[in-house]
Amino acid sequence: MLYSKETYKLQQEFTRWCRTGEEIHLENTRPEGLKQYRRLLRNNINNTMKQAFPIAVSILSEKEWATLIDDFFAGHDAQTFQVWKLPFEFYQFVSKQSYGITFKKPYLSDLLHFEWIEIDVHTMPDQIPEPFKKKGDPKKDRIEVNKEYRLIKLNFPVHLYAAEESKNHTGNYFLLAYRHPDNFEVRFVDLPALHTLFFEKIAQEGKSVQEILKEIGEASSPELMPEIEKNISKFVETMFDQKIFLGYQHIYKN
Amino acid sequence: MVKEDINIGLGFRREIAGNFLEEGGLHPDFIEVAPENWIDMGGYWGDVFKKVTDKYPLILHGLSLSIGSPEEPDWAFLKKVKQFIKDYHVAVYSDHLTFAKMDNAHLYDLLPIPFREDAVKHVVQRIKEVQDFLERPLTLENASYYTSVAAEMTEQQFISSIVEESGCNLLLDVNNVYVNAFNHKYDAREFIDAMPLGRVTYIHMAGHYKIQPDLIIDTHGEAIIDPVFDLFDYTIEKMAPVPVLLERDFNFPEMEELKTEMDKLRTICKKNWTSDVVQQGNI
Ligand SMILES: [Fe+2]
Repeated sequence: MLYSKETYKLQQEFTRWCRTGEEIHLENTRPEGLKQYRRLLRNNINNTMKQAFPIAVSILSEKEWATLIDDFFAGHDAQTFQVWKLPFEFYQFVSKQSYGITFKKPYLSDLLHFEWIEIDVHTMPDQIPEPFKKKGDPKKDRIEVNKEYRLIKLNFPVHLYAAEESKNHTGNYFLLAYRHPDNFEVRFVDLPALHTLFFEKIAQEGKSVQEILKEIGEASSPELMPEIEKNISKFVETMFDQKIFLGYQHIYKN
Repeated sequence: MVKEDINIGLGFRREIAGNFLEEGGLHPDFIEVAPENWIDMGGYWGDVFKKVTDKYPLILHGLSLSIGSPEEPDWAFLKKVKQFIKDYHVAVYSDHLTFAKMDNAHLYDLLPIPFREDAVKHVVQRIKEVQDFLERPLTLENASYYTSVAAEMTEQQFISSIVEESGCNLLLDVNNVYVNAFNHKYDAREFIDAMPLGRVTYIHMAGHYKIQPDLIIDTHGEAIIDPVFDLFDYTIEKMAPVPVLLERDFNFPEMEELKTEMDKLRTICKKNWTSDVVQQGNI
């Protein structure tokens, strides 16, 4: 760095003021001009978050929202060079600092997560699937999954109920958000635990339905299996209809 | 990218995206985007971006290079930019003569570098490093600013020294010259005269907003005012033809209004840069 210590310090103080609004004495600056910078920078962060989290904005009081924005801007060192990805860092910041507890809105973190994944799935880089067959055996063949998805776990079902109401239905909820390959639309699917298990093993471990059923069969009582098989076969069919499952992999099994 | 001497471009923004692809829409000679808004973008917008860049030549005008930061350039970011330049056959990569990152935090806006000798040295070194990495010259824009910070030289001296010593090119924003001249009470034409006009790769034109009687904010959200058109006319008369971009970032008007502004820019360019018109004028 070829800046003198003095110039470096000037820049630090300048940006410190922008982020915190703390009184500074920068010689040879125009105070109204300096004020504009704090206003413009904070507005930029505020507008980005308002756009990303319309539901959270609507359920928090103005004061609570302003607290989040001020604390985030002053206290979080933004890492992404792409401001449209900053809402993810905001969600993480709010979650880590437990603002949901402070505001007595324990669902806040889940709500931000839910709102963020819609942006995430909408914008994520295209994930080109491997070449796949349209026809196959849904039980034995390995399934090619649409990779443009996120699967998240929520304790408050903010995707099913109004935020306040979600407090009365806490539990383990699995939410799959994916991009429909025909029109790029983001769609949400609420997955029961059993389907989540199957989905993860198919999508992440590349297992066939039959292989997973075998694993489950070894751990559960045999009389349950026919019901599970029926249930899973319906689930697989629905996943194909929704274009979350795309087709069958070209795999040569021995 | 130049089809003929006169090239009038328009910033490609999501809000007006449809106008770039529809029949009878806007047909600029080229478009300009911030790479930060499009790198790694997939889905619907990735698809639109592919279509638009298939149709128009592209200039990149970035936001996060932060050439005036004390810290190291973000090489991971620049690697992505380099690839993006390759993928989209980009003619020019520009950013601003400002800083946007400090103490390991992005600030997402353009902050004024103190106009000082040590800052010139620092920025020159950074520009050289970035140019070496990208294997192409960098183009930097004279930014608008609402206060200088403990300046020890004029803005003209600051910009000229950096351009001269680093070998970078200049993106001359004529509206910014007008805004700065108004806010900091100097003469805009004298400022233009002091610029290294031979190093200007392209020009920005935009609107601004007077927030109080003695302060203008560079919003890119209004129509270009006549004194800025006049300053543009004054400027380009002294220059060889370069592409000219209309910057409009929000508060978008009817398409017709943008067309009219682009037509007006074209007329002024033709007046100054088309030889037969010049000859006619001499008769
Ligand atoms: Fe500009």
